[in-house]
Amino acid sequence: MSTWIVIVGAGLVTFLLRASFIVFADPHKFPHAFRVALVFVPPAVLAAIVAPGLAMPQGLFDLTLANPRWIAGLVAIAIAVTVRNPLAIIVAGMAALWGLQAML
Amino acid sequence: MSDPAAHSALRAEFFAGARQIAPSLLGTLPFGFVAGVAAVGAGMTPLQGVALSLFAFSGIAQLVVAQLIAAQSPLVVTLAAVAVVSLRHLMYSAAMSPHLAHLPRGWRVALAYLMTDQSFALGVRRYAEPGARGAKHYYMLGISVTLFVSWQLTVLIGAMAGAQVPPSWSLDFVVTLTFITLLVPALRTRADIAAGIVAGATALVAAGLPYRLSLVIASIAGVAAGVAFERLHRR
Repeated sequence: MSTWIVIVGAGLVTFLLRASFIVFADPHKFPHAFRVALVFVPPAVLAAIVAPGLAMPQGLFDLTLANPRWIAGLVAIAIAVTVRNPLAIIVAGMAALWGLQAML
Repeated sequence: MSDPAAHSALRAEFFAGARQIAPSLLGTLPFGFVAGVAAVGAGMTPLQGVALSLFAFSGIAQLVVAQLIAAQSPLVVTLAAVAVVSLRHLMYSAAMSPHLAHLPRGWRVALAYLMTDQSFALGVRRYAEPGARGAKHYYMLGISVTLFVSWQLTVLIGAMAGAQVPPSWSLDFVVTLTFITLLVPALRTRADIAAGIVAGATALVAAGLPYRLSLVIASIAGVAAGVAFERLHRR
């Protein structure tokens, strides 16, 4: 039962954030400082998700060769900077990870 | 829609969107599978995993819910974490709203519900191209429907398959890679990069905190760093 409440609640929260300005409000009515801060939400949240996925996949900080994910992640970032194609980024990242896992 | 020429223009926009999203599917489809597996792994039934995906339609929100249900977190904490990882949709919503303001309410509700990182990134680019905005919402719809259908199918497959994929395949790494494909283009200015570095570093330092509070704190720290950086350099 409580799981269903979480599921419906998560749906409501995600919808309300997506619909906020498109359906309900005019962004120009909000203070300038709020709109400036909003610009930095994607880089901040995305980096906060990516960094632990690369540097601490097992929950512990690990930038050694025992953790191939940060190296594969750097390969993917290099591809992302140069090529920008999502297909190439994911193929290169997974190939680097599997290659490193096979070597180590 | 009796004018056949106008009708085929709308259809062309829809399929242009569908084609544009195709290269991203290689990342999002395994991601959907991982989200389905994670839901069942956290103790949800396959039906609950699929329902969560239909309601939330957000990979990272689905993963956060799975992790926090597995950790038996309180409802308020779980929903707060979902709100933080979904905050970027607030920014997407603000940026898209001028382009969609002329549409009927039903269209706006549908496109808002279907809004993803990918549809936002590609849609903003399409609206910036020359030409009347006329049929561009069909482009958004083409991206979103393609992504929605394929996402829900792979979540379903993941929820049914459960944990049958060997961990040595490291399939969950596509989640991090998918977010790299979104993060790098989001780092356009030096202030963006400052926000990203501070958020990433804070997420690592605060990782020991319960309930994924690190994500909340790191996101706020990153936004603050971006704002501060911009203030310093405007003087």
